[in-house]
Amino acid sequence: MMARAIASLLLLSIASTAFAHKPSDSYLMLHVDAAAIDGQWDIALRDLDAVVDLDANADGRIDWGELRQRNAEIDAYALARLALSSDGQACPLAITDHQVDRHSDGGYVVLGLHARCPSRIDALGVDYGLLFDIDAQHRGLLKLETASSTVVSAVFSETRRRQSFALQQPSTFGQFRAYVADGIGHIAAGFDHLLFLVALLLPAVLVRNGRRWEPVASFPRACRSVAGTVTAFTVAHSITLSLATLSLVSLPSRLVESLIALSVLLTALDNVWPILPRRRWQVAFAFGLLHGFGFASVLADLQLPPSALALSLFGFNVGVEIGQLVLVLLLVPLVYWVRDTRAYPRLGVICASAVIALLSSGWLIERSLDVRLLPF
Amino acid sequence: MRALPLLARCAGALLAIIASSALAAPYRPHSDSEILETLPSGPASERATRALRALTLRDPGNLDLALRLASLHIARARSASDPRELGRAQATLSPWWNAEAPPVLVLRATIEQSNHVFDAARADLERALAAEPANAQAWLTLATVQQVTGDLRGAGDSCRRVADLAIALVAVACQASVDGVSGRAAYAYEALEDVLARSSRANGSESMRLRTWATTLQAELAERLARPADAERLYRASRALDPNDAYTIAAYADFLIDAERYTEVLDLIPRDTAVDTLLLRRVQAAVRSGAADAASSANDLDQRFAALRARGERVHLREEARYTLEIGRSPEQALVLALDNWRVQKEPLDARIALEAALAAHRPQAVAGVLDWIASTHLEGARIAELARQARSP
Repeated sequence: MMARAIASLLLLSIASTAFAHKPSDSYLMLHVDAAAIDGQWDIALRDLDAVVDLDANADGRIDWGELRQRNAEIDAYALARLALSSDGQACPLAITDHQVDRHSDGGYVVLGLHARCPSRIDALGVDYGLLFDIDAQHRGLLKLETASSTVVSAVFSETRRRQSFALQQPSTFGQFRAYVADGIGHIAAGFDHLLFLVALLLPAVLVRNGRRWEPVASFPRACRSVAGTVTAFTVAHSITLSLATLSLVSLPSRLVESLIALSVLLTALDNVWPILPRRRWQVAFAFGLLHGFGFASVLADLQLPPSALALSLFGFNVGVEIGQLVLVLLLVPLVYWVRDTRAYPRLGVICASAVIALLSSGWLIERSLDVRLLPF
Repeated sequence: MRALPLLARCAGALLAIIASSALAAPYRPHSDSEILETLPSGPASERATRALRALTLRDPGNLDLALRLASLHIARARSASDPRELGRAQATLSPWWNAEAPPVLVLRATIEQSNHVFDAARADLERALAAEPANAQAWLTLATVQQVTGDLRGAGDSCRRVADLAIALVAVACQASVDGVSGRAAYAYEALEDVLARSSRANGSESMRLRTWATTLQAELAERLARPADAERLYRASRALDPNDAYTIAAYADFLIDAERYTEVLDLIPRDTAVDTLLLRRVQAAVRSGAADAASSANDLDQRFAALRARGERVHLREEARYTLEIGRSPEQALVLALDNWRVQKEPLDARIALEAALAAHRPQAVAGVLDWIASTHLEGARIAELARQARSP
């Protein structure tokens, strides 16, 4: 009797190095948006089986039918062991969905969660008690994110069941402002977009007369031409930015970036030797479609939460327009002022365009061949 | 020449990541009969546990019932090599978790030891033994804790106490595991040979597990004594006794990897093993032999380490160091892990990974403590001796 008892323990001891499964974890993901919380809770089927007896036909396996039959019990068990609160007031929690998933250690049920707090959540209290009654080494791994996509990770254990998280939720206006700033920042740092606009606008104060450039007669006429060009560019890139951000169209980034460089090159060359259609707004529109895809890849890198997509799309676009407008306001009066100097058509337009063409061909080579030539 | 396979491996790893991330999305199965999970233990052991759990729920103040259930969970933890069962044992004992009763202290120490909280385990065992000096289990567990943490003298003393209280096979095996790492492997080998021949071959599962353990220990000693044919024979004998013993499979896999017999490792350990230590060996063999599933298995293992880190757990430092050195190919990081591990555990495998990482990172001075330990314990083994020689030579 003694030896039997000893043997089991002894073997346990020496085999400590062979202990090597993943212990029990649940994965709780919560997304806080104003007063609402949406979430997902992944709980291991093996853990649930120990508390609600999932294996109805006792064949040592759990199938989807057995799991579905126990949904009500699973919900009751889970909801009794998770409580959310905002500033001390309870946020009633509901299970909205049942799916399954596989983690590295086996099958999990995935519970969809929804909760609504009485008011905007500034401090979220999470009271977690899943499985501790049967498994003292169970851990709850929480990932908490807010609309501004700040992610907080936390671990709940038997001795750390209650935790509170101060959330810095931006106001909608604050979020919007942040996206506008992102848009401005992107156009300000995006030499390719800026130079494209410059190449497009340089000749806006001139009219082509045969092989010669001549200054436009009046400022309003110059402005009309600029407004047409800029509007066409804006409309075009807004279309593709929206299509790409909503995942309706997607192009490989390297292709897009290479084509953008090519668009700058062609526009600049066109100022030297006419190769593109006469109407500038048509050029602006066609190439604007390309630049919109470029903006979209920036927006995608910001990893936006889907709920903020419309807001971010709009804010980012507004930011791009503001940046663009600033450039127009700086550039157009300047070139209008110097348009009828003899040097402008040759020095201003031809030389500047040649420099832009040179730069953009550098980008084109870099981007299409994936090499590094230029410092920016 | 090496660039191409490396490139292929990178591409494979990338594909595996893409594939796994594509799979890792919640879904709703189409059919009720889709199997979502296979439960680890046989239904019989499951029924026994459930019955006992029902009894303890009806009589929550009954320590005897709780001890029986906790022991059952620990035994299941052992046979399935599943730490979940340890958590269940701990939860079962939670009303008595801070009690001073020796049986509680011993079980608590066992759980702590499995979680590598060795100091607490040792303190609990010493308290249990102060109250009950004839508690053989406590001496045995204490010997194990002492040996794992490098206190070989203490472990030897504890084993001598076991000898007065337990059957010969247990006592000899206890002493042999200490002798085997302190310069007396040949003596320990003979002692095990002798006691295995003498002791009964009863068919009870406990007696069989005990023989499995002693046989595997003897196989490890044969390896250390540079007798590979004996090691092979003993590992096979041990596998015949208990084909599912994870410790034996891991030790045998290491033996095969050292002999560059990778395809045998791939046959030994299934692709979908739930045991991380075994998956590590499989990944090593798969990568070294360029097997098709190398990248995806490595990715699985990576995910399991990531899951453990997310818990804030540092129980598998030895395995993680080995993985980081061989699969992750970052010797510096592997050395940090191996030295962190060495602070906690001091078994031959811990010394070996520390030396290997230090040599790969060109920092032999970082393992001076390990070299001192090898010299002072007279640890035998050609491989460890060669590593130590390289680390010592300037």
